[in-house]
Formats: sequence, structure tokens, C-alpha cells
Amino acid sequence: MAVVEAHDLRRVYKTHTGTIRRRVKEIEAVRGVSFAIDKGELFGLLGPNGAGKTTTIKMLITLLIPTAGTANVLGFDVVKDPREVRKRIGYVFGGERGVYERLSGYDNLRYFAELYGVPPKVQKARIEELLELVGLKGREHERTEGYSRGMKQRLHVARGLLHDPEVVFLDEPTIGLDPVGARELRATIGTLTSAGKTILLTTHYMFEADALCDRIAVISQGEIVAEGTPAQLKSRVASGAVTEVEVFGIPDETVERLRSLEGVMSVWVEEREQAQVLSVQTRADVQLTAAILGHLNGSNVGRVSHREPTLEDAYVALVEGE
Amino acid sequence: MNSFRLFFVGGLTSYRALFYWLSPTIYIPSLIVAPIFQILLFAYIGRSAGLQSDVFYVTGNAIQYAAIPCLFAMSQTVSGERYQNTLHAILVSPANRFPLFVGRALPVMGNAAFVSAFSFAAGCVILGVSLPAGSIPGLAVVILVAAFSCTGLGLTNAAVSLRVRENAVLSNVIFGFLLIFTGANVPISELPTWMQDVSHVLPLTHAIQAARDLAAGEPFSDVTGLLATELGIGIAYLAGGLALLRVFEWQGRKHATLEQL
Repeated sequence: MAVVEAHDLRRVYKTHTGTIRRRVKEIEAVRGVSFAIDKGELFGLLGPNGAGKTTTIKMLITLLIPTAGTANVLGFDVVKDPREVRKRIGYVFGGERGVYERLSGYDNLRYFAELYGVPPKVQKARIEELLELVGLKGREHERTEGYSRGMKQRLHVARGLLHDPEVVFLDEPTIGLDPVGARELRATIGTLTSAGKTILLTTHYMFEADALCDRIAVISQGEIVAEGTPAQLKSRVASGAVTEVEVFGIPDETVERLRSLEGVMSVWVEEREQAQVLSVQTRADVQLTAAILGHLNGSNVGRVSHREPTLEDAYVALVEGE
Repeated sequence: MNSFRLFFVGGLTSYRALFYWLSPTIYIPSLIVAPIFQILLFAYIGRSAGLQSDVFYVTGNAIQYAAIPCLFAMSQTVSGERYQNTLHAILVSPANRFPLFVGRALPVMGNAAFVSAFSFAAGCVILGVSLPAGSIPGLAVVILVAAFSCTGLGLTNAAVSLRVRENAVLSNVIFGFLLIFTGANVPISELPTWMQDVSHVLPLTHAIQAARDLAAGEPFSDVTGLLATELGIGIAYLAGGLALLRVFEWQGRKHATLEQL
């Protein structure tokens, strides 16, 4: 049975420009998103910045009313029964803001325990248990203004679990964390699924979705462009190959020219310290290394390598295809 | 039981979380020194122009200054959440909004009463104003009622914070408005008729009048009518504030305005 269901969800934002002659501009952030999450499943909503992930999650947690479509959580409609939905869900978002800086970590949790109606007798034990879970034991009585970004992020997780919700929404929970902090947080998320929680995770980190999620929906420009297990998504591009070229200063026009080559499925460039890494995904039946290097005349070229496609390649291909 | 705890425990915790004036370096100049300056300014203007007595300005300004903690601290209960990016965490909680927000008003009211009482006492000492000893308990009640009614206006102001980003500007405007319209420094009877009409539906107007009557030696029983009116005005603003919070929360969900800084 589906615990979270979204049917053709749409959300339009209206923005205004100008002071005297005000113009209204409509932006369709989510354009007909549908999915269902089963009990105990960790479902990932994967997409680039501005794809509509956070808007979708905000509609599901009752913070935004959909412009069209319906959604329900544990059988309760997010528009008609917001209070029933709120009682049963936990919400964790990324970033270091969103905690009361003047209060200690413990008092932050105690306040939210009151908001969620956690009985006083249960509160203390529950807070202790969560502090242990997120690794804040021993620092709980310090003001959060002195916490690191990672500690604040872990406090967000503890806050989202105070009332032992059946469904947890995690909105880019590892954003901005250092690698160690992010790994620890992913381990914590893993323990939640073991405890039987149903989780919706939004992220733009492919490896995170690959490592944690049972199923993934790739969202781009407000629409779901693919859905399946990580293995199913990988298999969509498994037949191709990826050529990676370390390059210094590649013009946008060159990237566009490479995209138009026969046999090229997708092209993307990542910044890595001083250099850029150009990745060209091609069909398996073509050999384009020479042609690619030929287009890079005028740029400093470093290491060239070939590899099998990963989930990241599948993701880029899907997003670029849009 | 939960609503009861949310009202008291939650109200106090959120006050500690959001009320930056709790720092002595901000609290003392803003809420201890500034109201005394206001009292002295108007009292000396009054003296030099031969207008009203010192007690007139002490009562008017000490009670009117409750508007600073009431307006700013109450608006902080919403705009402070928005600034710290905690507003959405509050609004996705299932907490009943009545104890959630009215509980936040309780410490504000206590602080406002303290500010009024302290500045009243300080103004009397500095200007050499003596009050009938029997009027003190009655004045304490007046100060509490004034703090309550002004907190009601503060809650309405807080609700506006769900739609207006720069609420501090609005709070300053309302403070100035109250300074003129409540009769703190100009007798209501000397204001134009339309201003008098407005005065009668504002918090503080009736409390200031009640305080002046008590300071003039009238018995407490003579000012109960004024206090009942003041209380009624406070309840009306409180109810209006809660209704506005509900409307703006719904509109915020509909128009996606809740988290804009």
C-alpha cells in the first residue's frame, strides 16, 4: 500500500517585476508530478537545482498548496487534512539555518517536542535517544550558535524524528556538509530505514541516491523524466561509454559542437579545482576520442580516460535529454 | 494538557529563542533608559510651555512606552522565525495556533508591564512626582491591563509579519501613532473629533486615563469602567490577530510567501 501518493501535482509561482508598471510573471515550478512511495521504502527525488524537488516536498508536507493535482500522506489529503498529515510526518531540510541560535541544542529539541505534543514523560528519554543517534551527546547544552554546520544539520535530523513519525521527508539533508559529516548523516539515514520509516529524500548527489535509495525519480524542469531502481536507471545507459578529458578553459561553443557529433549521447563539464573535466557519453559502437580531441584544439588538454557509464551518466543523459 | 504546556513552556522557550533584547547591553538602553528620556522630554516641554503637570506626562508616557516591547517583541514572534528560517518548521508542526501564539504573548505582556512600572517609578523619582499611597495597587492593575491590550495589538502586528517583510518599520509607525492618538502627551479632548474617535478604539487610551484618574486620587471603583473597556479592546485585538494569523497562514501556503526574507 502506498504511504505517500502524488497525482499530477502542479505548482505555479507568480512573481512581480517593476515598481510602477508591475508585471506578473508565472513560473511553473512543478508540472504534473506523479509517484507513489510504499511503506518502508526510501524513495529519492533526484534533480538539478531548480528542478522542482523542494517545491514538490513542500506540497507534500502541507507548506504549499498545489495549484493543481492531489497528494496524500498515509491516506490524508495534504490540502484538506493538513493537521493529520503534520502529526504523522517529520521534515528535515539542509543548510545551517533553521535552528534557534540563542537556545541550546537540547532546548531546541524540547521546544519542538512541545509543538509535536510529545508527552513530558516521554520527552527526556526520546531527546536523549536522538542525541545519541545523531552524535550530539555531550554538546546538547551548548548554544547552537557555536555549532558547526554538520552539528546543526544533525540537530535538524533529531528534530524531525522527535515525535517518531511514520514518514520522514529529507530535503537535501547533506547539502554543504564536509565528506565525513555527509557520510555520517547518510549512515543515520540508513538506520531510519532499518527502523521501518518511509522516507522521501531529495538530493542532487547521484552517489547519495545510488547508495541510499530503493527507488529514484529523476526530476527535471518540474517533470519526472525517469523512475526506477538505481540499477534500472543505470541500465538505460549501460550500453554506452564515457570519455573523460581533463581540460583547462573549454569554451561553451566547443561543448555545443561536441554535442552535435554523430554518436554523442550527452556532454557535460565539471569544475575540479583548477581544471575542468569534460565528460562525453557516446554510443558503444562509435569511437570518438580523436574527434573529441580534435575539437579541443586551442585548449590545454590533460589526462584522457575511458570508463563504463554510472548512475551519474544516466542522470545527466536524462536531464540533458529534457 | 498539551495546549497548557505549549502555552506556558512553549511561550517562554520561544521568548528566549527570539527575543534579542534579553541581552543587558540592548535591554537597558532600549527599555530602561529610553522610556525615561521620553518622559523627561515631554515633561520638560510641558513645563516650559506651561501645559500639563509632570504627573500627566509620567503616566501617559510610562504606559504608552509599553508599546515598544508589545509591538516589537510580538512582531518578532513571526518575523524572528522568518529571519532564522524556522518559520516553516513551526508551520508544518500540528501545534494548535492559539496556545502557540498566545503563549508567546504572555512573556511579552510581563515585560511590557515591567517596562511601564519601572519607567513610571523612575519618572516619579526624577521629576519629584508624589502619588497617593492608596493609588499604587490600582496603578499596578492599570499597567497590567494596558500591557495586555497593547499585546493584543502586538499580536495583530505579528500576524501582519506573515505578509509584510519589513515589519519593524510598521511597528515604528504604530508606536508613533499611539504616541499621538492615545492621549499620552496631548489631552484627548484637545484632539480633533475624528482623532478622538480613533483614540477610543486604540489600546492604552483608556488605561492612560484610568492611571491619571488614580494618580489624581480617585478611588479604584471609579476607573473600573475604563479598565473594562481597555480589556475589551485588548481582547478584540487579540481575537483579530489570531484571525489574521489564520488567514495569512492560509494565504502564505497558497501564494508561497511564508519563507520570503
